[in-house]
Amino acid sequence: MEVPQIKSNKINNQNFFSLSRQRYKVWTISGFAILISLIGLISSWLNPSIGLPLRAGLDFTGGTQIRLERKCQKECGLISTISISNALNDISDSNEGIPYQKLDGARIQFLDGYKSLLIRTPTLSAFESKKVIDSVVNIAGPFDEGGQSIETIGPTLGKKLLRTSLISLLVAFLLISTYISIRFDRKYAFLALLALSHDVIIVCGVFAWLGIFQNIEVNSLFAVALLTIAGYSVNDTVVVFDRVREINRSKINLSLKQKIDLAVSATLTRTLYTTGTTLLPLLALIFFGGTTLYWFAIALALGVIVGSWSSIALAPSLLSLSND
Amino acid sequence: MARQQGWFALLLALVISAFLLCIKLPFQLGLDLRGGSQLTLEVQSLQPSTPVTSDQLEAVQTVLDRRVNGLGVSESSLQTIGTNQLVLELPGEQEPSKAARILGKTALLEFRAQKPGTKEAMQRLQRFRNQVKNISLLYEKNKNEKLDLSDKSFQSKQITDLRKALNIKSDSLIDQRQLDEIKKKIDDEIVMLFEPSFLTGSDLISAGRRQEQNLSSWEVTLSFNQDGGDKFAKLTKSIAGSDRLLGIILDGESISEASVGEQFKVAGITGGSATISGNFNADSARELEVQLRGGSLPLPVKIIQVRTIGPTLGAENIRRSLIASLSGLFLVAIFMLVFYRLAGFVAIIALSFYSLFNIAVYALLPVTLTLPGIAGFILSIGMAVDANVLIFERVKDELRRGNTLIRSIETGFSQAFSSIIDGHFTTLISCLSLFYLGTGFVKGFAATLGIGVFISLFTALSCTRVLLKFFMSYKSLRRATNFIPSNQLPSQLI
Repeated sequence: MEVPQIKSNKINNQNFFSLSRQRYKVWTISGFAILISLIGLISSWLNPSIGLPLRAGLDFTGGTQIRLERKCQKECGLISTISISNALNDISDSNEGIPYQKLDGARIQFLDGYKSLLIRTPTLSAFESKKVIDSVVNIAGPFDEGGQSIETIGPTLGKKLLRTSLISLLVAFLLISTYISIRFDRKYAFLALLALSHDVIIVCGVFAWLGIFQNIEVNSLFAVALLTIAGYSVNDTVVVFDRVREINRSKINLSLKQKIDLAVSATLTRTLYTTGTTLLPLLALIFFGGTTLYWFAIALALGVIVGSWSSIALAPSLLSLSND
Repeated sequence: MARQQGWFALLLALVISAFLLCIKLPFQLGLDLRGGSQLTLEVQSLQPSTPVTSDQLEAVQTVLDRRVNGLGVSESSLQTIGTNQLVLELPGEQEPSKAARILGKTALLEFRAQKPGTKEAMQRLQRFRNQVKNISLLYEKNKNEKLDLSDKSFQSKQITDLRKALNIKSDSLIDQRQLDEIKKKIDDEIVMLFEPSFLTGSDLISAGRRQEQNLSSWEVTLSFNQDGGDKFAKLTKSIAGSDRLLGIILDGESISEASVGEQFKVAGITGGSATISGNFNADSARELEVQLRGGSLPLPVKIIQVRTIGPTLGAENIRRSLIASLSGLFLVAIFMLVFYRLAGFVAIIALSFYSLFNIAVYALLPVTLTLPGIAGFILSIGMAVDANVLIFERVKDELRRGNTLIRSIETGFSQAFSSIIDGHFTTLISCLSLFYLGTGFVKGFAATLGIGVFISLFTALSCTRVLLKFFMSYKSLRRATNFIPSNQLPSQLI
């Protein structure tokens, strides 16, 4: 990320950081990032194993995820995932009442150096999940009973969650832009919305690529992250716009470009510091928060960085375009 | 200055009461933090076109509530979500399959009299049923001894006969699924042999269970209300001494068929009580008792989501989120101290108050803390700091312009106000949208972040102000260089 540097904090009309001179650079960088993101989203969509712009996780597809923690003395021995899937096939063969196609579609994954075992299957009943656990004990056990987690989401619920996530995103966008239209005007609202779409598209794009190359999936927490990013991004943009409006009133003799440059430099330190203070707790979450919150925190951190870029550079530079 | 002291005292009182709240009130921890099972049930309407009404949902909840209480899990909770969902939380429960079995059943209990002239058909079906039961036992035994299941000798002639008799067209090797299928078919045919019911579980007052005299099996006892007792007497009277049986049918499956003795010919079995014995073991008798006590569900329910989290995983989650929160706060504190000096120190105190108030509100409302909820709190720390940063940057600007310290602080607060309001409001809008449209843990995240935004408005605009003014009342602290490096100040002020 290119954040323009200023040498001195002294601010006067002659010596402020000039965004307007850099604006073509800003547009190139943002445009390029969006292009790569869109390519990621489209390739993910075209990818037959994904079929969606983002690799949908359990929450959205429905299914069962069983997570087991192995009890190991020191290090956990290697176990091939094939032996586990054979064990699963054995249950369907042994007439235990789990339909074959359910276990045939299972995905098996070891995490944390073979310490935990993750089994993803199409939706299983509570009874069936127990059968699955019982059968893999022979191969990968013993398991730590206190460390296990089973999550089952019915397929219709998955679709519903996806729908409500999208609706809440749209509603939030709409409400936020209404609020800004009331507090500022429609032009500001449009630009803030543009900046926030920029941020959301880039974060989605990164996760599309992660889905293609690292099999990272997005779940409801990711939708939550997007909404938080939206709120944060607009928050940041509004602070800059607020200053533009203030300068607009007090320094009437300057051109719009100069006013915007002045507003951006006046809020630059604040934006960078705020980005820093928001990133620090997120870093703590990334490093200490555990696996559940890991990708959530990464998405948020990414969104915070992109969000401050769009509010320092993109939104104001577009604002200067509007009244040229 | 005295007025400043008054505000300070008020703030102190607030902090103390928040602290007391935190100690006195228990926190509600979500299942992902303490382990347990969560089941989401969907109430299904009888016709797809008619949605479930709120009355029906409430009726289902009442029945399930009673069944849940029968499960004997402490601190369990059952809540309705939306228009047709119920969420059941069972803290500490590691086997949701047990709960699922009890909750999912309709438990429609019916007493029916056998149709006249069906004696032979009944005997034939009962014989079939016994055969299936024997095959199941044999099968179970074979499986446990790990015998070769494809052994031809296991395919008894009985099975072939059964298939023929029941019109089941399949001649593959027998397996559990097929046995279940055959059993279901037999059950259905048995139920067909009974007349429609006029005595159902809705006439029950209570249900109990006790061991049978031979101690090897259990029986479930029932007592009817006045009306039910009369119906029961009438029903038993009509078939007493005949070759017709009394069928006890649960969820469309006949669990017991009993004959009624000649001696009840005159008045039927009176007194309003009955016993079902049908080879129950201790567990299955208890299950039936719980289901009957809870009454029958007015609508079928389907389990659409099950989450089970082990207790050590929950404890690990608590530990991790504590570390993440504390180190997040710590890192932010260092940041503020480095960049804002004395003001940074004030911000740290305000931030500690902020965290304390947050926690007190969680306890007071109460908010169920989940992992995403804690993430919401951690994120709101960043937002809370933002307000302080906005103010302090404005104060610095004023100092650079050559204003006096006290005046700069005043102006800083008032000028940052509009940005702070706008920024907080947009975040709040996201939270509201998440809270109203989201479900489950999404709600938890929205709740903690939203509360954080509210409290941040308060702490930034009042706590920081009061504290800063309190510090400024000490002359030794009232120096611009406590806020900004001296080389940035206009020369006349140094």
